[in-house]
Amino acid sequence: MSYAQHEHHDFLGASAQALADPTLQQALTRLTDTLLAGNRRGYAALADSSELRDHAKRIKEHSLAHLDQYLEQLEASVLKFGGKVHWAATAEDARRIVVEIAKKANCKHAVKSKSMTSEEIHLNPALEQAGIEVTETDFGEFIIQVAGERPSHLVAPAVHHTRESIARVLSKHLGEQLADDPKSLAMVGRRVLREKFRQADMGITGANFAVAETGTIVLVTNEGNGRLTTTCPRVHVAIMGIEKVIPRFIDLPVFLKLLARGATGQTLSVYTTLITGPRQPGELDGAEEFHLVLLDNGRSKVLATPFRESLQCIRCGACLNACPVYRRIGGHAYGGVYSGPIGSILTPLYDSVAANPHLPHASSLCGACQAACPVKINIPHMLIGLRELQHYHKPSRWERWAYGLWSMVLCRPWAYRWALWAARLLLRRNAQNGWLSQMPGPGAEWTKVRDFPAPAAKSFRERWKELES
Amino acid sequence: MSQREVFLQRVKQAVVEGNRAGAAPPLPERAGVGYQGGGPDPVSRFCQELAAAGGKGYVAADSDAVLHTIQSILQAHNARKILLTCGGLIDRLDLPARLRELSLEVRTTDDVQSDPREDFFSDDVGITNVHRLIAETGSVVLASKPNEPRSASLLPPVHICLADHSQLLSDLFDLFDIFAPTGSSIQSLPPSCLTLITGPSKTGDIELKLVTGVHGPGEIHVIICDG
Ligand code: SF4
Repeated sequence: MSYAQHEHHDFLGASAQALADPTLQQALTRLTDTLLAGNRRGYAALADSSELRDHAKRIKEHSLAHLDQYLEQLEASVLKFGGKVHWAATAEDARRIVVEIAKKANCKHAVKSKSMTSEEIHLNPALEQAGIEVTETDFGEFIIQVAGERPSHLVAPAVHHTRESIARVLSKHLGEQLADDPKSLAMVGRRVLREKFRQADMGITGANFAVAETGTIVLVTNEGNGRLTTTCPRVHVAIMGIEKVIPRFIDLPVFLKLLARGATGQTLSVYTTLITGPRQPGELDGAEEFHLVLLDNGRSKVLATPFRESLQCIRCGACLNACPVYRRIGGHAYGGVYSGPIGSILTPLYDSVAANPHLPHASSLCGACQAACPVKINIPHMLIGLRELQHYHKPSRWERWAYGLWSMVLCRPWAYRWALWAARLLLRRNAQNGWLSQMPGPGAEWTKVRDFPAPAAKSFRERWKELES
Repeated sequence: MSQREVFLQRVKQAVVEGNRAGAAPPLPERAGVGYQGGGPDPVSRFCQELAAAGGKGYVAADSDAVLHTIQSILQAHNARKILLTCGGLIDRLDLPARLRELSLEVRTTDDVQSDPREDFFSDDVGITNVHRLIAETGSVVLASKPNEPRSASLLPPVHICLADHSQLLSDLFDLFDIFAPTGSSIQSLPPSCLTLITGPSKTGDIELKLVTGVHGPGEIHVIICDG
């Protein structure tokens, strides 16, 4: 299976479907408004948030520019504490490694804390095939697992569900009729998942960060399932993309200060867990075995290109909330594991540019994503880069002719004035109340989905002349 | 070549290919960037931030006041089974004995041996020491140790922690400076598990309605001992 296996590539169809779903529209507006307001509040609460974000970006730039060294250092640190390190070049390798660990340690019941990386490698089906029961323990992920779906937001995976649909899904799963108020549904979740934690012999997590200097991996959750997953089972497997490594222990607070503020506006998420190796002698709980799986799966390929900056992403979801496109179409329309502006870059890069023709265009290039991003990733710039890759072909005769005409007109002021005059005349004649609902020729594609503003009665030059006289 | 070597070789090559001029900057020094501090009154800042995150802070003048506060929390929950970790303030205040006097079912982590999992799952309240507090964020920092297991602050539905005034740090950066006092590389190693807790367990997965206690404790109480 590939990096971003798709249910469909029909971006336009899926978007139209999402736009026509009033419940989803309401949920998306509520979520993205709340989180985006939190993002702004969070940054505003830091006196020098912009400098701190620059600093975080520089740490990431540095880490990526010396990635091989930091990976080796990370490995050495993990080994020193009695942990094990596994190198997974592909998703398939990673799946095989995790299944092998489970078999060797004789694990039958795995619990998972939310991890996009394990989502990316489609781990659950592989474990189930090997006879290992897997339970997602983030409440939103649990709902999605029971419903047989994919997450639709980086930090709010079940945003597309309502309390009614959640009650329906869980009632069916548990074979009992559940009330649909959030508190009692969450308590049902607690009850069911506590039982899973009690049984579990393997805990699977991702890693928000990994510190090369100490071999520490960092998990951030609000529910506490990350803590349970690393505390109860006797085996802990953490799967991380290689870009997650940062050099030193003291670099960590820089990111911790930004991650929750960027994602939700919290000063810190409720639980930040720093795991350094397995439990030490005399400790009463915590995993006895610690395994770290380092995943490449296409990342090194991107590392060598100008798209390297995309590897700085800390998966906070802020760009999703800020994006006028995501805010309307939601996560599922993007088709990949990652959605929103950053997904529009990752999916084409790791899956294929040709198979995802619409994604680089699912953006107005307004820059709201970059403004919200804790590491100030220049997403619009990379989207344009992808568009360039896409259209790196010989222009057709028609295109050459059109651009020839365009440059000829732009080079001759009289021709430019005349063309403007003609277009204005034509367009204004067909306009109603200042808007065109139908344009001729290729313009019809535009007006099929939105009206076009009619040109003003006078051009800028004409008004300028009047003002001057 | 082993799988590991092939892997690293590929990364190394990608690093070299992608490191255009200026793309391999040195590791930046932070200087003072991002340091917020705890303000003129870190204790009240801590309590404020903790309250904003949904927890509750108390300042107790002496050991009687600490006991009194604990007692009222236990009463409010009608709690019977209490789990205490050992060492630190809990020992200094002789808390296990004093709670037993109140005819509560009290166990300490010294009483629990080898695999304590079944025990931990059934307690009503967990009482722990803290490693540090952070005023800037209202966070409690816990460090795992033989007599400070992770479960005590995680499995019971209510978590009470005891801290000494001197354990309060101003800023998140201060916590990391303890391990790297030179401001660069690590001097003392972190424990197997260092946990920062900021408020009660939360989820907003159902229509963004905030529900507490979905996995971890639904309540967190922090008692700062002043005396
Ligand atoms: S690109 Fe930036 S804003 Fe978007 S998820 Fe990644 S870190 Fe967050």
